[in-house]
Amino acid sequence: MWIEVGHFAAILALVLSVTQMVAPMVGIRTGQLAWIRVGRYSAFAVFGLLTIASATLIHAFMTHDFSVTYVAQNSSLKLPTFYLATAMWGGHEGSLLLWAWLMSFFIAVAAWKHWKTHSVSMPWVLMILGGVTLGFLCLVLLLSSPFERLLMIPPDGRDLNPLLQDPGMVFHPPFLYLGYVGFAVPYAFAMAALITGQAKDEWILATRRWTLFAWTMLTTGIVFGAYWAYYELGWGGYWAWDPVENASFMPWLTGTAFLHSIMVQERRQMFKVWNLFLIITTFSLSLLGTFLVRSGVLSSVHAFATDPGRGMYILGFMAVMLLFSFGILVWRSEALKADNRMDAVVCRESTFLFNNLFLLVGAITVLLGTLYPLALEAFAGAKVTVGPPYFNKVFIPVMLGLLLLMGMGPLISWRRAAQGQLKKNFVIPAILAVVGIPIALFLGIDHPYAIVTVMLIMFVGSSHFIDFKRGVHSRMQSGSSNPFSAIWRMVGRNKRRYGGLTVHIGILVMCAGFIGSGMFQEVQTVIMQPGDKVKLSGWELTLDRYHKVRKDNWTATEAVIIAVREDGHSVTATPQKRKYDNHEMETTEASIFSYFWEDLYVVLGDRIPGRGWAIKAYRNPLIGWVWYGSFIIALGAIVALFQGRRLKKTQEAN
Amino acid sequence: MKGDYKERMRKKKLMLIATLVLVGGALLTLVFQSFTGAMVYFHTPTEMVEKSTDLVGKKVRIGGMVQAGTLKRKEGTLEISFDVTDGETMIPVYYKGVTPDLFREGQGVVVEGEWESKTLFTAHTILAKHSEDYMPVEMSEEAISKSRENILKSLQ
Repeated sequence: MWIEVGHFAAILALVLSVTQMVAPMVGIRTGQLAWIRVGRYSAFAVFGLLTIASATLIHAFMTHDFSVTYVAQNSSLKLPTFYLATAMWGGHEGSLLLWAWLMSFFIAVAAWKHWKTHSVSMPWVLMILGGVTLGFLCLVLLLSSPFERLLMIPPDGRDLNPLLQDPGMVFHPPFLYLGYVGFAVPYAFAMAALITGQAKDEWILATRRWTLFAWTMLTTGIVFGAYWAYYELGWGGYWAWDPVENASFMPWLTGTAFLHSIMVQERRQMFKVWNLFLIITTFSLSLLGTFLVRSGVLSSVHAFATDPGRGMYILGFMAVMLLFSFGILVWRSEALKADNRMDAVVCRESTFLFNNLFLLVGAITVLLGTLYPLALEAFAGAKVTVGPPYFNKVFIPVMLGLLLLMGMGPLISWRRAAQGQLKKNFVIPAILAVVGIPIALFLGIDHPYAIVTVMLIMFVGSSHFIDFKRGVHSRMQSGSSNPFSAIWRMVGRNKRRYGGLTVHIGILVMCAGFIGSGMFQEVQTVIMQPGDKVKLSGWELTLDRYHKVRKDNWTATEAVIIAVREDGHSVTATPQKRKYDNHEMETTEASIFSYFWEDLYVVLGDRIPGRGWAIKAYRNPLIGWVWYGSFIIALGAIVALFQGRRLKKTQEAN
Repeated sequence: MKGDYKERMRKKKLMLIATLVLVGGALLTLVFQSFTGAMVYFHTPTEMVEKSTDLVGKKVRIGGMVQAGTLKRKEGTLEISFDVTDGETMIPVYYKGVTPDLFREGQGVVVEGEWESKTLFTAHTILAKHSEDYMPVEMSEEAISKSRENILKSLQ
């Protein structure tokens, strides 16, 4: 019964999203505020109704209602309770509903928060977001309904895909979706600004926090995905340039470009058309991400559904959106002439310009590598893949360029950098960068790219330190003698700037992690019987025994391996080969021990009749730094998020 | 004096555009250069045999099914050999290493590696869901349905 309530609520939400679209238009036409208000209340109602719809679906999972097709396909009686609720987004249908629900939540928040402050844009924002919701709800209800019933009720469900029975699945998709959907609000404000002709800076100020929030969520989602791949997929790596990973990486790249270039618009009133272009692109790529992953066009780890109808629908949806958005942008771009011009080649504006160039080339690289094989298959029938070698080859230089700019940015002034000042600012970072060469060689790093990365880490680190120190110094001179209170006040006054610089430091830490794990990973593959030993630089692994383990809805063969490090520290690794009751496939459960400098990663491979099992042991140096770096990034982003609109006002006052 | 300033600005602007074009161009060249070098083509066993002379020594992917009864392991080692079939042609494959979870006889498989001679394919990687890379499911499905068609044809 409940699922019908949910289904009905979703249908009602669809109807109301039409109201949300149309009513504000009528309001603008007739000049009656009441109609616009109707649109606003529809937005709240859509959120309420979709909350009911999602709740009934979760309820169906919790009560094992296998008469619901989606539940029967993605759950079973033995599925642990923890995964019952989260199985809601384990499959295609439910995750689209989750998307729509998050979207309606954001719309409701935007309609509530910006109603008074942005009364001119609001009707258009409601209309555009209503349109996007409508598009999504049509997809949910017409082509992939999670509310469908089965005529024959099975006694037990097909169970959740074993790969998804993991805490990673609980966090990874919602965070990614929060990121994807979060870009919808800035997108809508940008479009509203274009339509109303008020494409000044207002939309950027209104949506700066939204953008930052979406970016933070997307970053967290991507890192969660990487971490999940690291411990669940059993191959010791975290990023494979899988088309599905690329799908979330593309909006991240353009979103990062957008976050930087809006600063130029705020400070110097330039890059206006460019910023609109970037946000439209970012939101389109978010939709493309959904399209790639959820249409079944890509067959990969993540694509569980194959249905060309959905693919065509999302493609059509995207085509409409792109034509509409870019059409209006072209039509209106005349009104968006920049108020200022670039005064010099060397200035902070141009570092942002190059930053955008690099990030965009990065996005094009990923787009090409992801879509070209699809296009070739569709039009020429040939099947190709462009694997990691391509992406690595292009991406590392792009990343190095970005690092260089990252180091230069904070020390170059706006408008025009005086040469004397430049020399003074960059002497120390440049010297430290050169010192990076012997350090890299001493650490045993011999690949040219890796050496350059070490140099750039030194360069960026020192330039950020100098910038920070200078700020503290000037604060201390102007009164507060206590360095800690000076730091506190400085960061507090300018959360956005120092939050941003913290994000940069997080990226440096991540880069160190990339080098360490990428260049110094060690692997040993051996067939082991009880008593056998294997050495792995600094570790000695001894196989104790194999035994069977039974839990919840799976059985496993487990190896018990004693690993002893040179300094006497010892751990017991228990990698498993799991077989889930309702599935044919086996899954590999790695046993991982994380330390500050390295991870010990042990996997159980094939059974070798008569000789035991193949054991694969990895030593992954610095891999933890990738995750620590992401913490620092999140921290910096949160600090920056705390800054409201005050910065702008203080600048105007100055 | 003012005209001089304008002239200088114009020059600087040109320089900026020139640098942008240069850096952008260099990056895009890098993209396309690497792209053509990194493409790996995918073939069915039949295509492999048809184009065998062209493909010797090149990195390719073969998709098909692991022929039942052909999977053999060199005793006590990680070395295995098996035949990949599309229902028409069988290609013997040699592989050393740990196989992915989904790999077994009768299952669809994609192997990446090299034709060393025209008789033996040495696989560097076996791709299946949940391994280093994704397995293009529809490719193996296609191969399986093709082999079914062939069996039906031969029955008629």
